[in-house]
Amino acid sequence: MSLFLQALVNGLVSGALLAVPAIGFTAMFAVLRFPNFSVSGIATLGAFAGYLAYGAGLQMVGSLAIAFAVAGAAGLFFDKTAHLPLVKQGALPAAIASIATGLILENLVRLSFGNEPRGYDRPIARDIRFDDIRVSPQQLETMSLAIVIMLAVFAALAFTRIGKAMRASADNPELAALKGIRPQRVATLASFVGMGLVGVGGMLLGLDSSIDPLTGTRILLSLFAAAVLGGLGSAPGAVLGAVLIGIAEELSVLVVGSPYRAAVGFVAILLMLTVRPRGLLGERAY
Amino acid sequence: MNIRIGRRTALASSLAAIASPAVLRAQSDPIRLATLTPLTGAGGSYGPSMAKVAASVVEEVNKAGGVLGRRVVLVSEDDQTNPEAAVRAARKLIDVDKVAAIMGTWASSVTTAVAPLCWENKTFLCTVSGADSITLLPHQGFLIRTQPNSTLQVTRLAEFILSLGAKKVFTMIPQTPFTQSTFDILNKVLPTGGATHQSLIYDDKKNTYRTEVDQALRTSPDVILANGYTPDTVVLLKDVYRAGFKGKIIGFAYSINQKLVDQIGQNEVVEGVYTFAPSPAEGSAAFDRVKALSGLTNPDPYTSQVYDHINMVLLSIAVAKEASGVAIKDNIRKVTQGGGKSVDNAVDGLKAIAAGEKVDYTGASGPCDFDDKGDILDCKFRYEQIKSGKFTLVKVA
Repeated sequence: MSLFLQALVNGLVSGALLAVPAIGFTAMFAVLRFPNFSVSGIATLGAFAGYLAYGAGLQMVGSLAIAFAVAGAAGLFFDKTAHLPLVKQGALPAAIASIATGLILENLVRLSFGNEPRGYDRPIARDIRFDDIRVSPQQLETMSLAIVIMLAVFAALAFTRIGKAMRASADNPELAALKGIRPQRVATLASFVGMGLVGVGGMLLGLDSSIDPLTGTRILLSLFAAAVLGGLGSAPGAVLGAVLIGIAEELSVLVVGSPYRAAVGFVAILLMLTVRPRGLLGERAY
Repeated sequence: MNIRIGRRTALASSLAAIASPAVLRAQSDPIRLATLTPLTGAGGSYGPSMAKVAASVVEEVNKAGGVLGRRVVLVSEDDQTNPEAAVRAARKLIDVDKVAAIMGTWASSVTTAVAPLCWENKTFLCTVSGADSITLLPHQGFLIRTQPNSTLQVTRLAEFILSLGAKKVFTMIPQTPFTQSTFDILNKVLPTGGATHQSLIYDDKKNTYRTEVDQALRTSPDVILANGYTPDTVVLLKDVYRAGFKGKIIGFAYSINQKLVDQIGQNEVVEGVYTFAPSPAEGSAAFDRVKALSGLTNPDPYTSQVYDHINMVLLSIAVAKEASGVAIKDNIRKVTQGGGKSVDNAVDGLKAIAAGEKVDYTGASGPCDFDDKGDILDCKFRYEQIKSGKFTLVKVA
């Protein structure tokens, strides 16, 4: 039983970390209307940008900000130059182009940093025990950071003008445009913030383990599954989806063994698309 | 004087004129060989020096006049520690470069994928992979390996674990071609010393192993065998430390190496961890040559083994007087075992062969004697322990 509870706690933590890039992914889908798979490369880029900033002596929050800015800027650049011009032909060409972008970014990181995994120079501490359940102080720290970032995103979406404009644009682009919301500005913002969040997510996921050019690729399936599970386009759905995927992946270790973990994401996507294609919370439910 | 050239004479001489450059060309055609090492991926810390040492040997041999009067060309490809990439690279080496031998495949999964291409195309393959299954493939003699197979390695490892006083051993390992055979051998050897054994297969692409470590620790092990590659072992050892494990940890030196210690960056996490590896023939003249050629102060076993690969292949070609996979296959044991003048490098060996002597190559990785399956017959092992972030020698035996 305690093994089950421990797996639940572990899943909750990895789910919380996965939620940050999942929000970014789903927010971009809501506004730009195509699944941007370059998140794999962008997450890696963010992780490395944060790594360099942290190594240069910046504090955690500063490094996260750098990861956000670099990933956001790179994501925006590729969206403007490569993906968005293709959206007019449909979501599929843009999605395929974004896979290519992800590969390019991954290999740029490989060329610059090599394949060696690198670790953030953070102290590794023994876990804190609550009865039979263990939690690491670092996990708590990264999870708190993830939660603060998510709250900030939700507050911005709910209370700021630009956040409301983004939601309106996602809900009904034509109506939003009629109301004087400029779709270009909203798209630019969605690109930048969405990719920024993905970059931050890459860094958060790397903090406890290590980073290498495949950091982003490893989370791509879980990330996509989380977004589909919650409902593509729904930010709260992405959080719910990420937590569920995180927990399911950890529990699967106990039930079917760790090598089958990758199947969890596929099964989740398959089930959701079969039973409830709109996702748990439905599309565009903010 | 009337010079009459008959049609036959004209035909014969023009044919000769066309053919002779071809004959000359064939004689001066370079001998083409290749290294296929992991320049990137999990084995990326070994592949570059493996490729370099082979290139240095070839350079020496070319300076000394080549083999059979022909220059040797060595092509280097990256297997990316990835079977798919390795197969693409091997196809190119076989179909485009037309090499007679491929040397240095590292990961067992890579060798398993590349080997069928080699034997089907009669290209000789020298590998440093350890999985038992590799020499059991129907390779028709087109494969040798200088790495002791996993039966030999894991048996010695299990004996060492028992010598540490282990009673409950837990193995954590990703899915590899040697996973099942590792379990089988540990399950057989450990109980003979009064220890029990349990195990878990993990996914090497996860960024946390907390749940897996929990599963392991529920069995209260006194020794954990961390049997993955470097990237996943970094994550695993951190999580084992966080979980408060106080027992002994042991792993293979190909994954628990200085890079792993540097990446973890905190000495107490790896303090006391034991490592285990087939040992090169330290102190031998061949090993000193590897040091000089690779520029490494302490060359790893794989670099030493690839040094042996290229030397053995070149000597086989010289004895066979032919640069083909079949020639190497038929002659490699003639230059590595069975007595004769003991040589430890190709240049000396080639001179001896040219003088009509029989040679017996003894290399930097050991005696380099092979059984019919292509496995080496003998090898030493090196045991080390990490103390304050440094690897200290426990024993070579």
